[in-house]
Amino acid sequence: MTILGASFDTPADNAAFAQKFSFPFPLLSDPDRSLALAYGAADDASARSAKRVSCLIDEEGRVLRYYPQVAARDHPAEVLRDLVA
Amino acid sequence: MLKPGDPAPDFAATAHDGRTVRLRDLRGKKVLLWFFPKADTPG
Repeated sequence: MTILGASFDTPADNAAFAQKFSFPFPLLSDPDRSLALAYGAADDASARSAKRVSCLIDEEGRVLRYYPQVAARDHPAEVLRDLVA
Repeated sequence: MLKPGDPAPDFAATAHDGRTVRLRDLRGKKVLLWFFPKADTPG
């Protein structure tokens, strides 16, 4: 299982964020919003910040589950439930 | 909105350590891609 975070921040901002909380996974920069547009985390390229959505992708690159509204606190447990389901 | 079974849109993006991460390089593993609004904001 690979976890990837993504936002519109610069790699430098994300590096500071990752260091502060010792995240053991990569934080991706999406400055042109292309990733967010593809995954429904932005309505258009001028979006100021990414929506809290999440996508679980299977081993063949298909969507296993799409989460249109993520509550950060509950999300890890939610995904774990879906992984064992 | 993406639905189960849809092909996940491929992407290449720069990680905070400078590496380029491509979705297609991660075949064979499950991937959780989650978006956050801004670095260093509370959940």
